[in-house]
Order: sequence, then structure tokens, then C-alpha cells
Amino acid sequence: MLLTEADSRAIAARLLGYVKADDAVVFLQSEDYSHLRFAANTFLTSGKRERTTARVTVWIDKRRGSSSTTDLTDAALKQAVEDAQTFARLAPVDVEYLPSLAQQTYRGGQGWVDATARVDLPARARQISEAIAQSENAKIIGAGFHEVGLLAQATATAHGNFHYERGSIVGLAMTARTPDGSGSGYFARNHVDVARLDTRRIAREAIRRAVDSRGARMLPAGAYPVILEAQAVADLLDSGGMSFDARNADEGRSVFSLSAGATRVGTKLFDPRINIVSDPFRPELSKFTASDEGVPAQTTYLVRNGVLETLRYTRFWGQQKNRQPSGPLGLILEPSMPGVSVDEMIKTAKRALLVSRFFYIRTVDPRSASVTGLTRDGVWYVENGEIKYPVRNFRFNQSIVLMLGPGNVDAIGVPERVASSEGGTDPLLAPALRLNAFNFTSQSDAI
Amino acid sequence: MIRRDFLKLASTAVGTATLAPWVLEREAAAAAEVDAVKSAFAEAALTRAKVLGASYSDIRINRYRSETIVTRERQVQNVARNQDFGFGVRVLVNGTWGFAASNIVSADEIRRVTAVAVDIARANSLFQRKRVRLAPVQPAVASWKSAFEKDPFDVPLADKIQFLLALNDTALKTNGVSFVNSSMRWVNEQRFLATSDGSRIEQYLIRGDPQLTVTAINRETNDFQTRRSLRGPQGLGYEYIEKYPWQADARQAAEEAVEKLKAKPVEPGRYDLIIHPTNLWLTIHESAGHSTELDRALWWEANYAGTSFLTPDKTGKLRFGSPLVNIVADRVQATALATVAYDDDGVPAQRWYLVKDGMFVDWQTSRELAPLVGHKTSYGCTNGDSWASVPFARMPNVSLEPAAQDTSLDELVAGVEKGILIYGDGSWSIDQQRYNFQFGGQTFREINKGKVGGMLRDVAYQSRTTDFWGACDGIGGRSTYELHGAFNDGKGEPGQVGVVSHGAPVARFRQINVLNTSVSMT
Repeated sequence: MLLTEADSRAIAARLLGYVKADDAVVFLQSEDYSHLRFAANTFLTSGKRERTTARVTVWIDKRRGSSSTTDLTDAALKQAVEDAQTFARLAPVDVEYLPSLAQQTYRGGQGWVDATARVDLPARARQISEAIAQSENAKIIGAGFHEVGLLAQATATAHGNFHYERGSIVGLAMTARTPDGSGSGYFARNHVDVARLDTRRIAREAIRRAVDSRGARMLPAGAYPVILEAQAVADLLDSGGMSFDARNADEGRSVFSLSAGATRVGTKLFDPRINIVSDPFRPELSKFTASDEGVPAQTTYLVRNGVLETLRYTRFWGQQKNRQPSGPLGLILEPSMPGVSVDEMIKTAKRALLVSRFFYIRTVDPRSASVTGLTRDGVWYVENGEIKYPVRNFRFNQSIVLMLGPGNVDAIGVPERVASSEGGTDPLLAPALRLNAFNFTSQSDAI
Repeated sequence: MIRRDFLKLASTAVGTATLAPWVLEREAAAAAEVDAVKSAFAEAALTRAKVLGASYSDIRINRYRSETIVTRERQVQNVARNQDFGFGVRVLVNGTWGFAASNIVSADEIRRVTAVAVDIARANSLFQRKRVRLAPVQPAVASWKSAFEKDPFDVPLADKIQFLLALNDTALKTNGVSFVNSSMRWVNEQRFLATSDGSRIEQYLIRGDPQLTVTAINRETNDFQTRRSLRGPQGLGYEYIEKYPWQADARQAAEEAVEKLKAKPVEPGRYDLIIHPTNLWLTIHESAGHSTELDRALWWEANYAGTSFLTPDKTGKLRFGSPLVNIVADRVQATALATVAYDDDGVPAQRWYLVKDGMFVDWQTSRELAPLVGHKTSYGCTNGDSWASVPFARMPNVSLEPAAQDTSLDELVAGVEKGILIYGDGSWSIDQQRYNFQFGGQTFREINKGKVGGMLRDVAYQSRTTDFWGACDGIGGRSTYELHGAFNDGKGEPGQVGVVSHGAPVARFRQINVLNTSVSMT
């Protein structure tokens, strides 16, 4: 059972009432999560977990202590505060201590939909059975994962701040494989609103890609023009290969560092049509609007018209550098002009590889935001405006910054809500991209 | 699949004075009360599941303690202590799984949650295509502790903080070192498993993960290099801190981080590689550990971690590597991370060959998987990473056996005309069927005419699993064997993290493709 706002206020008040320390922050979280996993056209596991946690952090003479409990009785909450205070008395001075936040102003989020919280087990079983039936009818082997996550979070401080918020999410990811293993397709979407999750479309897209990727040809490795679908772009952006962390850049250990302590902020690093924005309020994202310690979300241009405009700051580093601390991230890559559809990108391409997804992306050179990884679940050769044939998978080694740099971006699509296929449900808004060159360094036999 | 971001470090700064062994006395006391009655709780869950129609059920009532200390240079950034206690009930109804879990460990909640698990299984069973069948197991009543000497939760926090800051000091003394990050993480799992087959198993596990990363920066050339410690997680207690020469490792890491700034960029091409166990463990994990997971081969992981190039029809027929290559699965090796007495199916821990004399010969199995390849019993690979997670097939310790004769590192190097000696794990990536991989490392030394020379930088090796293991023509002896591993092996949906060790001797591989990973930003 999720905590209500009234429950959360009452628990936070009880916790703060027990605090004898100089300062305190309370964070409450309750979760109701369920899943249904299937593979080989049959159900595998299905389950539900419920968990509630109360965490209190206190400071005594700038020394910090924290503890958490899952027991919300008075005695337990009182003990949690006493435990935290015991830690604080033993701690060294927290040199990065800043007083907890006074009451902040929060814009309301739209991350909760009642209908998503009402998804029931028999209905879900039937819906996923229908996705499996779509696979069976297409003579395809389906595997996938359906999940419903409900989360309530509250933060409160000794300096009077309080914020409560609920979030819902429902998602389906599906992989379809031809029985002979010669074709494989993937498609995944999630949303805060169950009515916006089209499970039939997800199954249909995964199956289509599996069928269309059969009989792939091996092409030599090398630099190719590419059309990256939104999923592939999201996979790269969420890989951690390009971090906007200000402290790392200032300390000289980031792609955004320059010599002698300077950074690349203010320089035109990216294609002039590219904007990279953090905006958790964007309706299609609807993410939580406060950080765990209560920093309100903001809309921030990290890259505007290709220029690196700012980086992201923690409360401490923001204070050191006289910058506003960054709230929660809601990452968006969007063009400064109307986006182009993938179909149009294909129709106007002379020669390109169409890539649906990337896999196992890891940083190989943080100095250039270079990552390696592989294509997965569908690559096709495009020539003179038409998809000609499927292509076997490649390994790539590619700098994300150079990939988005001036002269390499040919066309930008319409941003859509998509989560990294390797990173869980956390969504971003990513467009498809047509790029002049992308470095494929070896071939993979994997299908 | 080793996850990118396993450590989400919480934020409790704790300091230099002595702390009671386990400060959360209230939770410990509450847990002790539950310990006294958990057998009764288990009976209640299993009985209720049976009454509601389950043909099989189990309950895990588990407590997890963890402690993480994070420092940089001369300051403590975080200390987090967590206790996570709860239960999960798993049931089979009409050959269909159901699972439910809660952190409220009470008789009423256990009855409610058991009914939820049965409801889930029953709702899904109406649409189930293939019914689950479990390999038989002998019921066990047992109690077991992992092979640690000194419980880290009994060591004062002050000692741990002092150790890490001293490590940082050592590294910072080297001219040219800019930053040092160090941490240690300790985990204690207290597991209780009761099954409707009659097993009642208590297990107490300790493991630790000290880490050190040194960064050297040249602000003039805008270059930076890092060197991580060559040691990682082990199934050891605090004796790991006291017995391993961490100070020497920190000194060497600092010197090599600075040396990397001036190292010669590698010329791409084919090289003979001498790979140290500090690097080879991860290549074993990704190429041999994951490819021999039977659930992957049956496409059960197709939607996330991927499938495998190995298939049941290749068992005993596919040449995986050269005849020197013997790869063993093992859940009994002392101090290894995946070592237990019983898995979460109640199956006893075992040791068996996956690759024998270069041939692929067997799989990793669970009670559910074993019958699908004609095995009568399970090898005991089932594990859940939390009371709130559904147990499923996870990797045992998978290791390369050393050669019978005690071949040394120098002897292997002596047989190389043009090659590279690689230490430490770096960047890692492999495709979803475990063919094509690319690995970096921490340090790379040129080998010329049988002699180890200067340092190289920006090295990654890329190969195909069977080509790579087929190119192995030299394996070190027992004296070169080391055990390394990971705290963050990701698999499954919802995602779970596994802990696993991989033993290896030093080994030689002929004519492997080497890349230069450096990219110019100008």
C-alpha cells in the first residue's frame, strides 16, 4: 500500500519531532511493483513486492548520520532518529555540509495515473497471452517483460520544506525471434498511463523486425552513414558515456574539460540544430519533480543550438561555483526545427545502415566520450531511398560527442518517449538520427 | 552481464570514533525475535500455499546487512549502513509460478502474501502454454557459514576509515597524482529457506569489495588516466584488508597512473597476449560463464541479457577452445563469491566441468532447467538477490583450471616474439550471443623477443569466443592462479545482481586483434 500525502506528512512530522540534532532531512518511499515475464512463448515468472522505507539524516555540529527503517511505529521511528544521531556524534565534520532546504516551490508533476494503479492480474495475464498469440500466429518465438511500478515519495526538512509525489509506470518490452534463429526483433515502450501503452503495437513491431531481419548479409566493418532509430539513440545517451557532471569537468576528468582548468562550456561542440535539455515536466516524460533531498526540478538547456550552455551541479558544487543546484534529470535531445520521420530519412538516404538498437555499451575513452557496443535486433542496408536487405550485427567504437558534432548530423527526427534497452524504465525523449559516419569496427555473428 | 552502475551509494558520513559492532540494535533485536519464530512462519506459509492449491512452495526469510564507506583524497564522502529484512513466497499452481514479497514479517502478512502469490500463479495459469516441472531433490536440514575469518561488521568503523584514508595518502604521495577515490563495501546475507519438499536451510555469508582508483591529470595537455586496484570483491571477511598488501598496491597504482600519461600509444594490429588473472577473470565471465547458462541457450533471457551461441545439440560436440582449456563450474570453492552450501531450490552445491580438454561438455542448471536437457538432477544454480526477488538461474563460480605443470609467467612471456602483457580489468563488452567481445585493462606492457618492456596505452583486445580460446597455447601453473570476481553481474527481469568469482592462471593467446581506443577531440 502506497503512503498517502497525509500519511507522509504525519510520519515526517513524527520523525522531525524526535530530532534533537541541528538539522535533519527525512525521505519516505513506498513501492508497489509487479511483473510478468515470458519467454519461449510461455510465462516464466510473475510476482509482486511491497516495500516502505523511512530514512532520516541528521547533522550535529556539521557531522552527519543517517539510518533507515521499514517499521513505521512510533517506537521504531524514534529509534531510527536516535540511531542517526548516534552516527552523527561519531562522524567527522562533513566538509560538504549545506543547511537543509527551506520550503521550496514545486511545480506539480503529472506522473501519476489512477488507471495504471488499477491494472489487475487476470487482465494482464490475458493481455500478455495475446502478445504470445501474436507470436504463435506469426510462427515466431516471443520473449518479453511486462511491469507495473507505483511509487510514492516524500521529503521533509528541519528547515520547513515538505514535498510529496506519486508516480506510476507501466511498460512492455518484447523480443521476437524466428524459430531457426535467423531473425530477431525488439520493441519496448513504457508510459505513466496504461491507456497509452499499446501492447499489440509492441508485439507487432518486435515480430515485424524479426521477420524482416532474416537472412542478414555480412558487410565489412568500417565507417558507414547510419539512421539510428530512437531506441538506438536512447541506448547511447543513457549509456553514461557522455556525462554532464560539472565537478568532473572542472576537475579535468571529463570530455568537457579543457586544459589549464577551463571547460568547454560556451563552445559549439554539437550540430547547430541540436538541443539537449533536462525537463522532467515535459508531459511525455512526467518524471518526479524533486530530488531525494528536495531540490526542485527545473527546465535547463545543457546544449542549445549546438553550444554547450551549462553542466549539472550538485548542491555542494553549485555553491562552490555560484550556480543553481540541478534537480532531477529529465533528458531530452530535440532539434531546433521540426523533426523528420524515419520513413523520410530512409526515402532521402543515398546509402545508410538503419540501426534499431544497441547493446552492451561501455566507455572505452572518457576523454572523448567514446564507447563500444554492438548493434542488436535489426540492422538493414538502405540505398537510394529503399531498405534493400538486412545486415549482420557489428561492434562499434564511437565518440558520442563527435557523433553529434557539426558536420556529422544529417537529419534529426521527432523526439519520442523511450527508455534505454539496457537501463530499465527510466525514460528520455530521443529522436531518430541520420548521421554521416558511424564507426563499426568488427562484425558479430550474433543474431 | 556486468552492470555499469551497481553501486548507488547512500549518504551517511560516519567518522573516526569507535562505533558499536552493529549500531541498529533495535532492528537486530527485532530480527532476533523473528529468527526464533521464522520456522513457525515458514510452516504457516507452506501450509497455506498447499491449502490454496500450490503443488510446490517455498519461503525465504532473509536479512541483508551492508556497509559502504566512500572516500576521496583526505575526506570521507559517504558511509551507508543498511539492514534489509523481509520474506518472499514462491508457489507453483497448475505448473505456473507465482511470487509475492513483503518487508513486514508477521504471521498475518505471511498468510496474506502467500495468498497473493497463489492468486498470481492461478491467474497466469489460465493462459500458460508449458507447465513447469522440477527435477527432484533430497530434502536437507542444514546450517552453514561461509569461509571468513573476521566478521567485518565486528570491526569498528574508525579502523576502516583510517585504512582507506591511509591508502589515499599513500597514492597522493606520488608526484603527478591528482585524485584518489577509495571505498569498501561489506555484505552479510542471513538466509533461511524452507520448501514444501521438507528442506530447512540456514546460511550466513560474508563478502567484501575494497576498491581504489587513482587519477593522474596533465592539465597542460588536457589528458587524464586512471589506474584501479588490481584487487576486487572476495568472499572474505576483514582479514582481506589485513592480509593483502594494499599499501603496496596503492603505491603501484599511483606510479602506473602517472606512467600511463607518458606511455606509448599502441599500434593496432595482431599481437600475442599474455593475460594476467586480474584481467582474464572478466573474459572468462563474459565468454564462458554466460554462454553456458542453459536458460540463455533456451532463449529465456532473449529479451534482456541475450541468448547463447551454445545450444543443447552442441553439448559434447563443439570445440570451445584448445585442448589446454578446462573450464569448471564450482559452488564449493572457499572464499569464492558464488559459493554456498545450498542454492535457493535447496540443491546442494557442486563442482562440474563446462569445458573439458577444449570441448564444451555441460550446462549450468536449476531444478526447472535440468529436465529440459535430460538431466535427472540440478547442479544447484538457483539464486535470488533479495527476499523481494524471484529466485532463478544464476552463474556459479566459473574458472579456468591451471596447467598440471607449474608453468610461470616468465616462461609464457619467453615464448612471445611481439606481444602485450595485460593486467587488471578495464572496459568490457560482448554481444548477446557471446561471440564478439572487446576488453580493455588497467596496464599494458610491451613484450619484445621474450622480454617485458615499457608501458603501452589505449589498448583493447577484440576477438570471437571460440577463436580466442582456440588461440590459447599456454596456461600457467597453480602458482599463477588467482581468484577475482564481481559484485554486479546483472541478469533477469526484473533485473537482479549476482556475485560471482572466476579463478584463472596467467595464460597466453596467439595473434589476437588489438585496437587503439584513443579518439582525438581536435
